[in-house]
Amino acid sequence: MGSLYALIALGVTLVYTVMDMMNFAHGEFIMLSAYALYVLAGLPFAAAVGGAVLTGMLIAVAAERIAFRPVRKADLSAQLVTSLAVATILQNVVIASVDARPKSVATPTFVGEATQIGSLSIPNLEFVTLGLTAIVLAGLGWMLYRTRAGLAMRAAAENFEMARLLGVRADRVIALSFAISGALAAAVGVLLVMQTGQVSPTMGLTPVLVGFVAVVIGGFGKMFGAVIGGLLLGIASSLLGSYLPDGLVPFRDAIVFSLPVAILIFRPHGLLGSATGEARV
Amino acid sequence: MRIARLRSPRAAAVSLLVPLALVTLTALVGANGSPSLHATVVTVLCNLIVVLGLQVFIGNSGVYSFGQLGFAAAGAYVASFLTMSAAFAALQVPDLPDAIAGAQLDPLPSTLIAAVACGLLATVVGLPLMRTSTLAIPISTFAFLIVVYNVLANWESVTGGSSGLVSIPRTTSIESAALWAGAAVVVALAFKWSASGYRLQATREDEVAARSLGISVTGERLLAFALSGVLCGIGGALAVHQSGVLNPTTFYFGATVTTVTMLVLGGARSVFGAVLGTVALSTVNEILHDVEGGGSLFGLVSIGNTPGLAAIGVGLILLATMISMPDGISGGREVGELPWLRRLRRATRTSPLPAVSGASGTREPASGELRAEGISVTFGGLRVLRGVDLALRRGEALGLIGPNGAGKTTLVNVLSGFLVPDSGAVSLDGVDVSRRSPSRLARAGLSRTFQAALPFPHLSVLESVAVGAMGVGVGRRRAVGVADEVLGRLGMRELATARAGSLPPASQRLLGVARALATDPRYLLLDEPAAGLSASEGEDLVRILEGVLEDFGCGILLIEHEMSVVMSLCPCVQVIDDGTTLRIGSPDEVQADRAVVEAYLGSSYPVAASA
Repeated sequence: MGSLYALIALGVTLVYTVMDMMNFAHGEFIMLSAYALYVLAGLPFAAAVGGAVLTGMLIAVAAERIAFRPVRKADLSAQLVTSLAVATILQNVVIASVDARPKSVATPTFVGEATQIGSLSIPNLEFVTLGLTAIVLAGLGWMLYRTRAGLAMRAAAENFEMARLLGVRADRVIALSFAISGALAAAVGVLLVMQTGQVSPTMGLTPVLVGFVAVVIGGFGKMFGAVIGGLLLGIASSLLGSYLPDGLVPFRDAIVFSLPVAILIFRPHGLLGSATGEARV
Repeated sequence: MRIARLRSPRAAAVSLLVPLALVTLTALVGANGSPSLHATVVTVLCNLIVVLGLQVFIGNSGVYSFGQLGFAAAGAYVASFLTMSAAFAALQVPDLPDAIAGAQLDPLPSTLIAAVACGLLATVVGLPLMRTSTLAIPISTFAFLIVVYNVLANWESVTGGSSGLVSIPRTTSIESAALWAGAAVVVALAFKWSASGYRLQATREDEVAARSLGISVTGERLLAFALSGVLCGIGGALAVHQSGVLNPTTFYFGATVTTVTMLVLGGARSVFGAVLGTVALSTVNEILHDVEGGGSLFGLVSIGNTPGLAAIGVGLILLATMISMPDGISGGREVGELPWLRRLRRATRTSPLPAVSGASGTREPASGELRAEGISVTFGGLRVLRGVDLALRRGEALGLIGPNGAGKTTLVNVLSGFLVPDSGAVSLDGVDVSRRSPSRLARAGLSRTFQAALPFPHLSVLESVAVGAMGVGVGRRRAVGVADEVLGRLGMRELATARAGSLPPASQRLLGVARALATDPRYLLLDEPAAGLSASEGEDLVRILEGVLEDFGCGILLIEHEMSVVMSLCPCVQVIDDGTTLRIGSPDEVQADRAVVEAYLGSSYPVAASA
């Protein structure tokens, strides 16, 4: 649960750090990747997953090109609203073309089984989730810290204008960060399908909010903070699920989403955020 | 006597009456239409109240909240509980306290109670949320919306759970909806044009500059958030008494997107825009819904039953608006501010009569001083200030000079409360103010300008300056008088109706000085006010500042690279370099000082220091 949230938060933060934009449509990238699994159900599962990743990346890059590039210079709120528009369009395109109701998707039987370790029975899904998260994080780390493109992205994240002056191609870096963000969304989409066995047009809403909240908790624009924020939310959510009195379990989401408010009361700039740079005059 | 006004009475009347006429027209169309059109128009009017609620907060603060529909939901539930008959209530919501379940109120009291409840809820929710940053507010308000939904959908014994409530009396008539919507228009405009509304708009235009004028960003946002909650609550309460049914999804994600789109489409900064956007989008929505149900587009294109089509249309309209006209149909202007009505405005401008001085009064020079002791500031590993002292007496001008990077602006940031020093203390007339916020310092009589002009682009010049006075608590009417006087003093009266964003850079800079003066400061810190001014403009500025020294009796701290300006205004100059004070003395002494010349030119320069 925590690692899933961390993946979502990373996808949101990646775009935020590079172009200062909170992307509401990230949830729809997740949803559409999951629908790729539904559409490609006839293929071997691995191939369908490949298709999902490709879908996530393509949709993300296309959304950037068509919708977000024209408003790149607008303020944060305007970009946020633009991404809300994109999210609405994508969600309802699926409703119009597939169905408003959830559809079930077959997943490999292996995922539904459990492995016995001593007296513990651990669902294989847990291994898959952890493994996939580890692979994605390692891959992202390698990309960011060992490749030229990653260096360009980190430079753009630090100071976009300066990076541009030094010859980093803005359009390309932003497109790349959207592509990676789309791939991260696809990983989340695949994991969600494995967990629930179904897809629905609104399945992206809660994840993207979880991602946003994790980013707020972690302090804006800090990748590490986003991962921590995601893990914290996931752990809080699991713990609440297990230990809340029965009568309160339905209110788990209400409690989880009140968390950021509680944290922001004490640290208005997030756990790892700082007030510096806020009032440069 | 000259009477300055923020807008001519005729422009104000037009700005108010046109939206009201639009509301009336919409209501008339509904009242005379088919039953289904009738019902639709009531819904549109209820939506309008919610959108006006959004306008009050989003439009004036420039900060998006996605949680306002949570207040609409709260209003709807509260009002439903109050109007529903006891028998139905017992059936649907058994655990509701008897006092509420048993009540069977008329529409008006139930709506009013819902409004008050939502205002309280918004205040409680806003208290922590408004403290967070401009970017965190949209997200945390969205989290609030989810919390509301989650509670409503799961607390079955009190809210009816996800299946919601039925058998709510259908009491909202088209007349009552139109009356409430008209009242909401008046409230939204009255707020926008109030001192509080102007202060909030100033924070939207430039948060830092607003704080320097004494405006509490958190406080102003909270007030608007609460008022917005009241309007949204009324909208929700009326809407549910038109449909008769209520469930948690009524006021959730979809409704949030729709109402935000209405606001953005019309132009969020304007009340007129909110009305226009609501009517326009509702019309489009209605057509799309017909098509969605399997109808045909204007009888031309026939489309099958396609759910989601209307929402796609809303999304596309929102996207197209954001890309091609981010200021919306109205351009963010009220009707009286529209460019093609300029003739109307010009014709009604008050004729300029000779100014009567003394609006803010000539003060006898008072004693007191702004004192900084041992100020040290470190950025990362860089020590920008190392133990600087400074004393600025009222009625005196002190020049602060030094090479680039000496720490001049950092010192002003510390003095004005924008930066908390690592060590050292600042006192104002003997009171320690080291950790006071910029806005509190401004209200205590310390005002400043910035190196960048930081204008309020969408406010007029007169409004921009009046906000300075409003920021320190002067009422709206008097603030305008003060602003007019300050503008007269600075020779800027001719520009009073121009938008601040349209001025050339030099005038924007002067406007910054005017804004600061309008706070009636006892100490005025000017960060390079003459940068970008021509030589003759610089001389004018000196004359203006001399007048300010004499009439206001305030102390002026002047950072300036233009030495002629410093020389002619300041009898005393403090030179800082590399974070420490190098020399304090008269301009002549300072210019002759070897260390000062070295600091500016480098030690290897063949100094003719005493020449």
